[in-house]
Amino acid sequence: MDVVTIEEVADSLAVFGDRYVGRLFTEHEVASCRGSDASVAAGLAARFAAKEAAIKVLRPSTHQPEWRSIEVRRHPDGWCALHLSDSAARLARQQGISDMAVSLTHDRAIAAAVVVALVDGERSGKERGAHGGAGRATSEETL
Amino acid sequence: MDDEIRQILAEHGRLPVEISDLSDDADLYQAGMTSHASVNVMLALEDAFDIEFPESMLRKSTFESVGAIRDALVTLVGAPAE
Repeated sequence: MDVVTIEEVADSLAVFGDRYVGRLFTEHEVASCRGSDASVAAGLAARFAAKEAAIKVLRPSTHQPEWRSIEVRRHPDGWCALHLSDSAARLARQQGISDMAVSLTHDRAIAAAVVVALVDGERSGKERGAHGGAGRATSEETL
Repeated sequence: MDDEIRQILAEHGRLPVEISDLSDDADLYQAGMTSHASVNVMLALEDAFDIEFPESMLRKSTFESVGAIRDALVTLVGAPAE
């Protein structure tokens, strides 16, 4: 799980603009966050929280995966899913993660995301540390 | 270089403590800098030093202290003139 203050993202958009957006978010993510400046900031804050929550699950030991290799894809019906590519996808394979799910939310000031991952049976126990249901890792773990 | 780094951390690091109270090797994340704030610090450093951090340097340890940031900048732009 991760939380981000929406004001922080709004400030970053105001100061760094397209460089900030282009460094962190994919075209799909940007296209999914339309509307007022406040709506855009809230949507991007939730997506940044999702990337951070996913990184906690992926547990990189050296290089952090590139921000855009963790993408929040919005389904036309409104629900979201995580799509991993490049460095993030490699990390997921190394960790034995076969599936991930994400939930996003935001209120006036705070955006948050929870990521859960399905880990294959052999890696679900001591290798990742026992935590809850069999084979299911959550981003509550710290790096 | 250190003064510029500290100035950028003061402006973009959103630290709950004064940057002047932190030593060069103090852990900025333990001091309260978030991952999101570290992105802002990275972008501000790129503006100030006309550089771009390569993907290989995009890890928490690159921005974990004033000294670590200095080491990264020296790698990218060379050592500052005496």
